[in-house]
Amino acid sequence: MSEISSAAATAHVPAAAAPEIPKLPPRQWAKENLFSNPFSTALTIITTVILLTISRALLSFIFNPIRQWDSTATNMQLFFTRAYPDEQYVRVWFCLAVILILTSVSMAVWQAGSSIPVARLGRKFLAGGALLGILTLLAPFSTSGTIKWLLAAACVAVIGESTRRFASSGGTERTVNSLTVLAITLAGLAASLWVVPYGHYTYVANREPRVLAEEGTVALTTKLPWTIMLLIAVSAFLLGRWIRDRLPTNPTRVTLLILWLLSPPVLIYVVLRDPSFDMGHVFSTDLPIFVSYAIGGALLLSWLTRPSTGEAGRIVAVIILIAGFCTFLTPMRMVVRLDMLTLAVFALAAPTFAGGPRNRRRYVLGWLGVLSVMSWLITSINTPSTVTVPGGFFIGGFSITLMVAVFTLVLSFPLGIALALARTSTMPIFRLLATWFIEFVRGVPLITILIFFSIMVPLFLPRGMHLGEVAAVVIGYVLFSAAYLAENVRGGLQSVTRGQHEAAEAVGMTTAQKTLFIVLPQGLRVAIPPLVGHCIGVFKETSLLAIIGVFDILYIGRIVIPGQTEFMGSTKENLLFVSVIYWIFAYQMSKASQRLEQRTGLGER
Amino acid sequence: MKSKFFRLLAMLLTIGVVASACGSDSEDAAPATTAAPATTAQVEVVADGSLLDAVKARGTLNCGVSGSAVAFSETQADGSVTGIDADFCRAVAAAVIGDAGAVNFVALTASERFTAVQTGDVDVLMRNTTWTQSRDSSVGMDFGPTTYYDGQQLMARVSDGFSASSQVADIDGSVVCTNVGTTTEKNIAEAALLAGAEITLLGFETSDEVYETFIAGGCDITTTDGSALVGRKVKQQPADEEWVIFPSTPISKEPLGPTYGQNDSAWADAVNWTVYAMIIMDEYGITSANVDAKCAEAEAEVARLCGGDGELQTGMGLSADAFHQVIRQVGSYGEVYNRNLNPVGLYREGSANAGWLDGGLIYAPPAR
Repeated sequence: MSEISSAAATAHVPAAAAPEIPKLPPRQWAKENLFSNPFSTALTIITTVILLTISRALLSFIFNPIRQWDSTATNMQLFFTRAYPDEQYVRVWFCLAVILILTSVSMAVWQAGSSIPVARLGRKFLAGGALLGILTLLAPFSTSGTIKWLLAAACVAVIGESTRRFASSGGTERTVNSLTVLAITLAGLAASLWVVPYGHYTYVANREPRVLAEEGTVALTTKLPWTIMLLIAVSAFLLGRWIRDRLPTNPTRVTLLILWLLSPPVLIYVVLRDPSFDMGHVFSTDLPIFVSYAIGGALLLSWLTRPSTGEAGRIVAVIILIAGFCTFLTPMRMVVRLDMLTLAVFALAAPTFAGGPRNRRRYVLGWLGVLSVMSWLITSINTPSTVTVPGGFFIGGFSITLMVAVFTLVLSFPLGIALALARTSTMPIFRLLATWFIEFVRGVPLITILIFFSIMVPLFLPRGMHLGEVAAVVIGYVLFSAAYLAENVRGGLQSVTRGQHEAAEAVGMTTAQKTLFIVLPQGLRVAIPPLVGHCIGVFKETSLLAIIGVFDILYIGRIVIPGQTEFMGSTKENLLFVSVIYWIFAYQMSKASQRLEQRTGLGER
Repeated sequence: MKSKFFRLLAMLLTIGVVASACGSDSEDAAPATTAAPATTAQVEVVADGSLLDAVKARGTLNCGVSGSAVAFSETQADGSVTGIDADFCRAVAAAVIGDAGAVNFVALTASERFTAVQTGDVDVLMRNTTWTQSRDSSVGMDFGPTTYYDGQQLMARVSDGFSASSQVADIDGSVVCTNVGTTTEKNIAEAALLAGAEITLLGFETSDEVYETFIAGGCDITTTDGSALVGRKVKQQPADEEWVIFPSTPISKEPLGPTYGQNDSAWADAVNWTVYAMIIMDEYGITSANVDAKCAEAEAEVARLCGGDGELQTGMGLSADAFHQVIRQVGSYGEVYNRNLNPVGLYREGSANAGWLDGGLIYAPPAR
C-alpha cells in the first residue's frame, strides 16, 4: 500500500500553490471566525441551536423503536435488482466486477487520487469522534446505549489523536494516498459484512415471522462476493498502474473510453439479459446483412476518404442519407435501416477525415468496428432472453435507475451536441428545426413527456408492434435531456471567440474540420460545469419514473415495500434509505466534476 | 418571402420524417418471443383467433397485477408476487397452460391498466379492479366473476365517540383522509352529501401517507375499501388506541374480479370457468391437499370438473384435467382466500365473500 501512495504522490500534478493561510490554534481560530463581533456571536449561537435541534429530531426519528428498519434490511435485494433470479445472480456480480475493473484501471491510468497529510487524517478522526460523541448525547438512547456509543466515540477520537501525534513526531510530514484510505475504508466495510447481518433476512411465503435467509439465497451470500469485488478492484488498480507505466498513454485512454461506452449495452443486454441465439436465423439473415454492409461500406468509405474525391463525396453522402430515410417508407428489417443511417453518418464525415492510405485504413476499420458492435447488439437485443423474471422488464430497482440515467446521458450527448451545432449553424432549415425542437421540448414538463411515451405511444403503434415501456421512456427522456443539453452546449460554443473561427478558416480547414477540432473542444471545456449539473439532474430525475409505475428504487421504497403485509406503514424508513442512496451517487458525481474542472484548469485560465 | 418558403419546407420535411417514422413496420418479424416484452420494438404475430390460442402458444400468461396491494398482490423481497390476485393469475395459467408457474406478472399502475389490456401487453387483469358500467361499456373491458366483494367503509377512533353502529351522518364536522385519484374521494363526498354531513376532505398520494396522518392525529376519519381498512387496523393500530370500522353496510359496492378485453368469448370462458371451478370445488370441500383422492372417487359435477366422464373442458379448448391442475397447483377458492386474506384479518365467515350456502355472495353456475 505504501508503494501505491508514493507512486501516486509523485505522479500527482501539483496544483498552483494557493497563498498560505496561517494555521491558528483552535481557540484563536474560533475567536476570529465565530465570535469576532456581537452579531457573528449571535449568528453562531443561533445556527448551533438550529443544527442541534435538527440533529436531535433526525436521531430520534432514526432510533425510534417503532421504526421498521427491518423492512429496509429485508428488501435489499428488491431495492437493487428487483426480481433478478437468485440462481442467475452471478451475472449481476459479473457486471459489477466489470464496472469495478474499468473504474480501477481508469483511476490508475488517469492518475486519480491525491496525497493527504496523515496529520490531517488524524484531525478528521478526532473531529469525527467528537461529532459522534455529541450525536450520542443528542440521541434517545438508554443509559447503557449512551455509554456504549460514547466509548466508541472516545475510541475514534483517541485513534485520531494518536495518529496525529505519530504523524507530527518524525519531523518530516507523512502523507498517505487518498486511494489507500479509500481501499482501507472499503475493506473495513467488506469485513463488517462478515460480522453484521445488514440484510440477511427474508420472509418466507407462508408468512411466518422473520427468519434468516436460507443457504444459497442472495441475501445470505453477499459477503463473499463483496470481498471478491474488493480484491478484484485492488488488483485491477495494480494492473492499471502497470499499464500506465509500460504502455503509451493515448491509445490506452482511448481504449478505456471505448470500453466504458460499450459496457452499458453489453452488460445489460448480453450479460444480464442472456440472449439465446437462434443460430439458423443468425446465419441466414443477420450475417448476410452484416457482410454486405461491411464490404459495401468499406469500399464506399475508402473511396470517399480519398483526398481526390473532395467535397463531391458529401453529395454522395447526402444521397445515402436520403436513401436511409426512404427505407422507412417501405417495409424491411429495422437493422437494415439503422445500418444505412450509420453508413450515411460515416459517409458525411468522410471528407473531414480524408488523407493518406493509413488514415483511410483507420477510417474503414472504424466503420467495421462500429458496424460489428452494432449488429451484434441488435441481434442480441432482438433475441429472446433466457432469464425469466416476473414483470415487464428483467431488471428493476436501483439497476434500472442507473440504466435509464446512463442510457439517457450516453444517447442524449451526441443528440444534444448535434442540436446545438444545428441551432448555431448558418443553414436556416437546420437552425429552424433545432430551435423549434428545443423550444417545444423545453416547454413541456418531463413528467408529461414520460406519461406520453409510456401510455400514449403504445396506442399509436400499429397493431402487433410492441415498444417496451422502458425503451419508450428512455426515448422520451433522451429527447428531453438533449434539448436542455443543447442549450448548455450552445452556451459553450458561443464562448469560442471569433478569432478562433477565423484562424481555423485561415489555415484552410473545412467547416466540419473547424467544428470538430477547433470549436467543439474549446466550447465543451467551458460547458463542463453546466453539463455535469445536467448529468446529476438526469440521474435524480429518473425518480419521475416512479410516477408512471416503473419499478425504480423510489417506487419500490415508496409503494412496493409498504404494500407488503409485514411492512405496512414503512414508507418513511425506506424513503430515508432511498434518499441516502441518491445522495451518495449524486455527491460522487459532483466531486468528480470538481476534479475534472481542476484538471482542465477551468476557472484558473 | 424567402424565410416563409424555408419555414414551409421545414414543416413539410418534419411531417415527412414523422410520417415515415410512423409508417409501416410490418416485416420486422422478430420471432414472437415468449417472455416479457423487451426494450426493443418487437412484433408479435397476432393471430386473428382468440387470446386463448395465443397464450397457449406463448406458454406464459401475462397477468396484470398491482404489485403493491397488501394481501392482493404484493411484491416480496426476492421479487416474487404473492396475494389473492396473484393466485388467481396462477390459477388461470394452470388451467390454460398446465403450469401455475408460467405467469409473467406485469405490475401496472391504476392509470396504465386498461391501456395494457388494449395494447395486448397483458392477457388478463387481476388488479383489484372494480366492475363498473363505464368500464364494461365505453372503456372496452369485459369482466369475469367477482372474486372479492369489497366496499368502501370508514375508520375512526372509539375515543372520538364512534362505534361499529355509527353512520355516515355521525361524521358531521370531521376531517376525512383518503387517497386521491381513486373513486373513494367521490364516494365519500357523495355519501356525506346524501347524509347531510359536512366534512373536510384531505387527499394523499399513497395509503401509507393517509395512515401516517391518521395516526398522528391529522384527521379524525380515514376511508377506503373495507379490505384495506381491516389490514391497517390489524397491523397499525397503536396499543393505547382502539379503531373501529363502520358503517356495517359499505357506502359503495366494489366487486373485484378478473378483467380482460371485450369480445373474446373463448378467452372469457377460460378465465371465468377457472374461477367458477375453484368456487365449486370449494363448495364440495375439495382442497389442493385432497384433490387427487377426491377426483379419483368423484362422481357427477366434481368428476366432470376433474376431467372424468362427460367433461366439458376439451370443448372449451382446455385440456381435460385443466381444473384438476388448478386445484392441485393453486387451490380452491376458500384455500386461496384464507391463505392470503386471513393474515390481514379478513375472514369469509359472515362477510359477503362467504359461499352462497353460508349467506354470502360467492356463487358459481353449475358445471354441466
